[in-house]
Amino acid sequence: MYDSTSTRVLRGTLIGLGLLLAALFFLFPIYWLVLASFKTKAEVISPTPLHLGMFTPHLDNFRDIFGLSSGQTEAGTPREYLGRLINSIIIAGGSTVAAVLLGTLTAWAMARFRIPGKSDIMFYILSTRMLPPVVIIIPVFLMYTRLGLTQSHFGLALLYTTINLPFVVWMMKGFFDEIPHEYEDAAMLDGYPRLQAFFKVTLPNAWPGIAATAVFCLIVAWNEYTFAFILNSDPVAQTVPSFIASKSQTSAGINWGVIAAMSTVFVLPVFIFTFLVRNHLLRGVTFGAVRR
Amino acid sequence: MANVTVEKMTKRFGDVVAVRDLDLRVEDHEFMVFLGPSGCGKTTTLRCISGLERPEQGTIRIGDVVVNRMSPAVRDIAMVFQFYALYPHKTAYENIAFPLQARRLPRDEIERRVTDVARVLHIEHLLQRRPRQLSGGEQQRVALGRAMVRRPKVFLMDEPLTNLDAKLRSEMRAELKRLQKDLNATTVYVTHDQVEAMSMGDRIAVMRQGQIEQIGTPDEVYNHPASLFVAGFVGSPAMNFLPAAYRDGASPTLTVADGAFTLPVEPEWAQRIRERATGSSFTFGIRSEDIALYTEPGADRIASEVYVMEPLGDVNLFDLRVGGHIIKAKTLPNFQLRIGDQVWMAPDHAKMHLFDAQTERAIF
Amino acid sequence: MADLTHSQALAREVAAEERPAAVRTWNPSDGMLAFLFTLPTMALLIAIGVFPLIWSLYLSFTRYSVAKNVAPVWIGLQNYQRVLGNEDIWAVFVTTAKYVVMAVGAEFLLGFGVALLLNRAFPGRGLLTTLLLLPMMLSPVIAASFWKLMYEPEWGALNFYIKDLGFRPIEWLANQKISLISLAIVDAWQWTPFMLLISLAGLSAVPRYLYEAAEVDQASGWFKFRHITLPMVWPLLLIALIFRTMDAVRVFEYPRIMTADAEATQTIATRLYHYAFPEFNTGLSTAFAYIVLVMIIAMTNIYVRYLVRATSR
Repeated sequence: MYDSTSTRVLRGTLIGLGLLLAALFFLFPIYWLVLASFKTKAEVISPTPLHLGMFTPHLDNFRDIFGLSSGQTEAGTPREYLGRLINSIIIAGGSTVAAVLLGTLTAWAMARFRIPGKSDIMFYILSTRMLPPVVIIIPVFLMYTRLGLTQSHFGLALLYTTINLPFVVWMMKGFFDEIPHEYEDAAMLDGYPRLQAFFKVTLPNAWPGIAATAVFCLIVAWNEYTFAFILNSDPVAQTVPSFIASKSQTSAGINWGVIAAMSTVFVLPVFIFTFLVRNHLLRGVTFGAVRR
Repeated sequence: MANVTVEKMTKRFGDVVAVRDLDLRVEDHEFMVFLGPSGCGKTTTLRCISGLERPEQGTIRIGDVVVNRMSPAVRDIAMVFQFYALYPHKTAYENIAFPLQARRLPRDEIERRVTDVARVLHIEHLLQRRPRQLSGGEQQRVALGRAMVRRPKVFLMDEPLTNLDAKLRSEMRAELKRLQKDLNATTVYVTHDQVEAMSMGDRIAVMRQGQIEQIGTPDEVYNHPASLFVAGFVGSPAMNFLPAAYRDGASPTLTVADGAFTLPVEPEWAQRIRERATGSSFTFGIRSEDIALYTEPGADRIASEVYVMEPLGDVNLFDLRVGGHIIKAKTLPNFQLRIGDQVWMAPDHAKMHLFDAQTERAIF
Repeated sequence: MADLTHSQALAREVAAEERPAAVRTWNPSDGMLAFLFTLPTMALLIAIGVFPLIWSLYLSFTRYSVAKNVAPVWIGLQNYQRVLGNEDIWAVFVTTAKYVVMAVGAEFLLGFGVALLLNRAFPGRGLLTTLLLLPMMLSPVIAASFWKLMYEPEWGALNFYIKDLGFRPIEWLANQKISLISLAIVDAWQWTPFMLLISLAGLSAVPRYLYEAAEVDQASGWFKFRHITLPMVWPLLLIALIFRTMDAVRVFEYPRIMTADAEATQTIATRLYHYAFPEFNTGLSTAFAYIVLVMIIAMTNIYVRYLVRATSR
C-alpha cells in the first residue's frame, strides 16, 4: 500500500518474471505432450520439433482411442477405453474420499487427544509407506486372491485407501496442530459438545489442508500402476494406467501420438477436479472472528 | 506522545460506507474512547489511524504530521488487538521483545526494557511461557507489554477486554486506566461496552453508522446526551423513553405517555422547544435513578403500578406501569413493594430530557 | 410497549433455540471419539499392511523364487550377507543418495519459492496454480517416456534449441557423468508441484492479523518472513520433505525407462526389481528391501525427531 510506485512496479515485474519462468519450465513438456496427441507417429519424432502451426493437427489419435475411426485402431474399441476410464474414476475417486475421510478423523484425534503410544502409532503409520511396492506385491496378490478381492473395484480401492492413509493422517495432523485448540475450547464453553465443536469450528479452518490432501490422494490413486497391473488385469475392473501400458507395445513400435492422446485425456479429470477445488486450496484462512 | 487529528475522513468497503466524513481530534495525553454498536465504524476509524486501512478521503495527522502516505511502521503507533495477535511460536519475552528486535536495538537494552514493562504489568514470572500456556488475562497483558515497550506516539486499542470474563474485565479496566495515567500516553480505545467507556475515557466519541453522534466527557455524554441514540446507549439500565406532546401557551405543558401524566414546562425550556423543534411530537427521557418513588400520593406525583421488582443487592429496580407504558426506576434496597402495588413517582425536573421525535436530537 | 407476558414467553423460546442442542444429539466422550476415529484407519493399515510385511520378512530368510513351484527353503541370513557383501550395492546406495539430494533439494527450493510468488492475490491465480500442478498429475511412466523423447540427442526438442543457440548438443542420458542429473531434473519437474501445493496450503494458513501486528511493530519484510512465516510453515514443509524423500529413495520409473539400468543410474529400486524379476530371486530381493527399509526407518527417525522438536509447545 505504501511503497512508491516504482518499488511496486519493480516488485511486480520481478514476481511476474519469476512466475513466467516457472510456467515455462513446468508447462513446456505438457504443451509438448498435448501437441503430440495431435501428431502422427512420424511427426512426433521428427528431427525438427514441430510446434503449433508447423504441422496440420488431426484428431486421428483421439478417434482411435474412442474407436470412432474406421479401419484398424490401435487402442481398442470405445467401450474399452471409456470403460477403463470409468473404472479409474470409481476406484480412484472412491479411495480418495475414503482416505481423506478416515485419515482426517484420525489426524484430528491424534492432534487433540492424549493417546498412549501416539508417536509410535504415528511412526507405524508412516512406515507402511516405506517399502517399495515391488516387494509386497506378491504377498498382497496372494492375500487378495484368497479373499476374492482381485479383479474388483472394491479390492483395488481398498488398497489405494490404505496406501493413501498415511499421507492424509500426517498431513492433516500437521494442519490440526497449527489450528489453536482454543477455538474448540471456546465453542465447548458455549455449550457445544466436542464433536460439534469440531464440525463447527475446526473443520472449516482445515479446508486448505483437506483440499490439498485430496488432490494428492487422487493423483496417486489415479496414476498407480504396479498394483493395478497385477491385481486388476481383467477388463471388468481394469484402470487406465495398466491399459495404456498394455497397449503401448504394438508390432509397429510405439505410437507416441496415441499414447499422448490417451495421457492427455486421462489427465483431464484430475485437472478439472483440481481446478474446481482451487479456491479451497488457496483460501487464506483468517483465524478469529472477522467483524461481527 | 502526540495528538491525533482526523479530518473529513471517508472509508468505503466496496459499496458499504463504513465511515463518512468524520472529524475528530484526540488531544495529547488524552484517553479517547470510541463507543458504539458493531458496524458503527469505530474499528475502521482506528485501523485508518493505524495505517492498516487507507481511507478514500480525508486527512489523518499524528502530531501535526500528515500520515496518510505513511505505512503503520513509520507512524510510530502501537496497537493492542482484540485477539491479542501474539506470535504463537515465541515466548512471552520474545513477543514483547519483537518490536525492539525488529528495530535492531542492542540486546541488553532490549532486556532492560522488557523486564521493566513486565514488572509494571506483573508478568515477570510468565516471560518464558508460550501464548498457549497463558490465560486470557495474561495474554492480554503480554499484548499490552508488546505495545508499551516501544514508547510510541499513540496507543491504539481495539476492544482488548472483550474476550475476558467479567471479573477480569473490571480488574483490567482499572489497571489500564492507571497505566495510561502513569505513562501519560495518548490512547485511542475502541469498545462497544459503555461501562468501559464511562469508566476509562477522558472523552467519549459515540459513533453510529459511520458518524459521530457526540463527543464529550463521560459526564457530558451521560447527563447531556446530544441525541436519542446517545441517551439510550449510555447508561444502564437504559434511559426511559416515553412519547410526549407539547402544548404551548401561558403555562406550557408536556403531555407524556399518551396522557398518563402531564408536566409543567419552565419558560427557558419552553423557549428552547420553540427554537429547536421541527414538529410537534417529542420523546421524553428520564433516567431510572432520577425518579423518586413514594408510597403516598402527593403534588406532582404520578400514579403507577408495580409491574416487576428486581432486587439487585445494592439497588432495587422497579418496572412501573404508567398508562400503557413501562418505566424503570431505581431505589435503595430498603424500599420494598410487591407486584400490583400502587406507587407514586416523581421525576426530577432538573434531570428531564426531551428529544425531537423527528431528528432525534436533544432539546434539553 | 408490547404486552410483557407475551414477550417474556417469546424470550424464553428464543433462548431455548439459541442454546446448542446439547441434550438432543449423540455426544461421545473424548476417549470414545479418539478410539472411534482411530479405529478404521488402524484396522485397514494393520489388515492390509501387516500380513504382507510379515510374510515378505519371512521370505527374506529363505531361498525362494516365485517363478518356480518349489517351497521356500530357510537359509538364515545368507541373503542379507550376499546383499551386504556385494560391492556394487554400496555404489547403488550412493547413487540413490546423490539423486535424492539433488532432486528433493531442488523440489524444496523451487516449490517453496514459487509458492511465495503465488502467495498474493492476482487475476488468474487459481488457473495458474492449477496449471503449475499439471506435471504431478501425469503418470510417472508417461513423464519418463516423453522426457526421454525430449532428451534425444539427435532430434529431441531440448537439443534442437541448444543447437540453435550455438552450443554443442548435450548427451543427456548417454553421458554417464550427467545422466543422473538429467533424471533428477525430471524428478524435480514432476514433483516440485507437490512441494508447491503444500507450501501454498501452509502459507495461506498463517493468520493475517499476525502480519498486521508485525507491521505495526515496525518489522521489515525479511523480519516478518523469518519470524512469522517460516516458523509457522516449517512443520508442514518438513512433513512434505519426509514423504517426498521416502518416495524419491524408491524411484524406479525414471531410471528404468530413460536409462535402462545403465550403471551410472542404478538406483535401489531398479536393483531390487532386477533381483525380483529377471533373476526371480524373491528371497534375495526381499532381503535387500528390508535392508533398505531399515535405512529408511533410521533416516525418517531423524526427520521425525526434528519435526517433533520444531513443533513442541
